[in-house]
Amino acid sequence: MMAGVMIGICSLTILDSVGESTKRETMKRFKNMLGTFDTVIIRPGSGKTRGMVSLTNVPPTLKFEDAAAIAAELPEVKQVALLQNAFDIDVKYKDKNVSPAIFGVSANWLDLRGDELAEGNIISEEDIGSLARVAILGSDVLPLLFPEGDALGKTIRIGDVPFQVKGVLAQRGAGPGGGSLDNLILIPVTTASKRLFNRDFLTMVIAQLRDPEKSEAAVSKITALLRQRHHIAVSALDDFTMTSPQAVMAQVREMGSALSTILKGIATIAMLIGGAVIMSLMLISVSERRKEIGLRRSVGANRQDILLQFILEAALVSSIGGLVGIALGLGGTNLVARLEHLPPVLSLQALESAAGLSVGLGLLFGIYPAWKAAHVDPVKALGT
Amino acid sequence: MIEVTNLGKTYRRGDGTPVAALKAVSFQIDKGEFVTIRGPSGSGKSSMLNIVGCLDRPTSGTYRLNGEELSGYSDKQLSHVRARKIGFVFQSFHLMPRTTALENVEIPMVYGPGRVDRKRALAGLERVGLGGRAHHYGTELSGGEQQRVAIARALINDPPLILADEPTGNLDSAAGAEVMAILRQLHREGRTVVLVTHDDAVAAYAEREILFRDGVLASDRKIAVLLGE
Repeated sequence: MMAGVMIGICSLTILDSVGESTKRETMKRFKNMLGTFDTVIIRPGSGKTRGMVSLTNVPPTLKFEDAAAIAAELPEVKQVALLQNAFDIDVKYKDKNVSPAIFGVSANWLDLRGDELAEGNIISEEDIGSLARVAILGSDVLPLLFPEGDALGKTIRIGDVPFQVKGVLAQRGAGPGGGSLDNLILIPVTTASKRLFNRDFLTMVIAQLRDPEKSEAAVSKITALLRQRHHIAVSALDDFTMTSPQAVMAQVREMGSALSTILKGIATIAMLIGGAVIMSLMLISVSERRKEIGLRRSVGANRQDILLQFILEAALVSSIGGLVGIALGLGGTNLVARLEHLPPVLSLQALESAAGLSVGLGLLFGIYPAWKAAHVDPVKALGT
Repeated sequence: MIEVTNLGKTYRRGDGTPVAALKAVSFQIDKGEFVTIRGPSGSGKSSMLNIVGCLDRPTSGTYRLNGEELSGYSDKQLSHVRARKIGFVFQSFHLMPRTTALENVEIPMVYGPGRVDRKRALAGLERVGLGGRAHHYGTELSGGEQQRVAIARALINDPPLILADEPTGNLDSAAGAEVMAILRQLHREGRTVVLVTHDDAVAAYAEREILFRDGVLASDRKIAVLLGE
């Protein structure tokens, strides 16, 4: 009987806590990917590109001049950050060889992404203007090229062009897919365009808005401006895609609450099974204790006394089972958290509902067996 | 003390056919009597004892205990009467498993007029000669000892009426004689003792014998007390 409640409460605690933890972690990962919240992301193409965009898989439609026009002509936009990126480019330092993502970015990139440096300096406007050959290493790249960690000032070769390491990024952690966001090297976007890739189009523009509350209006203004600049006919589709982090986060939140609902459903089923177990075990206990019931009745217990005794016993056993279940659930939550690399969130709400439920289950599912106990015929039970 | 008038009890079998266990039985038992109820199996004597003990209700007729008409009483009212007026002694003792002698004696106190009082329970065990066995479990006691614990339990709420159903049926003759000596002592203290038995030697302790046959009272006679001191 105790085991039934134990299992039910244990699974409830785990499900609830892990659910909460998963939700928070998912939010965090999306936030990692999206950066700050007052921005709109503009990418070339109609949005059908799958996976990470780069110079090799996007149409060459989003130009440097488009970004400049957005920044200059629209008062809703505070500033724009530019990205021109590519993969599969060899990066060498002495005998070490890696191929991280190469991000050609504008000077305000780190600021808009909310990223921070672990050491060194950021890419400056002078670097942009002078097409400087400077690089900032992602935290995954650093130990591969420089196991000693002494990267600043060293010269690496990106696709045979020498670059001087100017800084190292702080760790950002995982994205929504679980992959690392730290396997990259940042260089000035002008250097990337003219000295490395020889391309005049961008893979991404991030527009920071003056008023994030009015992102919808800003999105339609940017759309209009780009359509006009690209000479897109009224009936034709956009040749670019815009994503507002606010919209994505709203979607994520919705997903999170759907996840919680599913987990709560599972926990409820587990509890109902626990309750059914309590009930059947109590019914067994009642039939095993018929003699005791008959004896108690013969010495003066009325039906109510017996009913109360059995309900209280059920609640007591159920709460003990619940306590053990909570303890096991906490252990299980930590285990799951460790295996899944989630932060172990202890849901206080889960604990409260587990404690309340275990007493309540005992009471609820104890009622019928207790009623059966109260209606045992003492004459038959005593076999007189 | 006990006044049974035209009392009938009809059971229904599993298939719904009624079976008359008692048919219009009438008798009286005065306070302080020692009566044995006898008769073959199925004669209705157990049904009678259950009704007199307030564990069951008659289907017709009346039952008065100390002038109180009980046939219309609710479960709660009957339980109240059982707790205060009646002490049962059963053939198979009905001690609770995994429970000490002392704890068994304390059970009726939960439902009786007073508080649960360990000292009084211990005194009750001493009275049946088992003060030294208070903390033994039922399974550690002999049959005679178990029945004495059951008697101490029956007496703990000081009921005026003792109902014993084959109290010596599971005991050897020496243990049976001990149990009967205690019942006789209770009778001498002024309690009413009603005893159901098949055993002539046990029946010989009583002053009066009521005989049942086929659900009716077949005979009711005073008998000489054969077993003296």
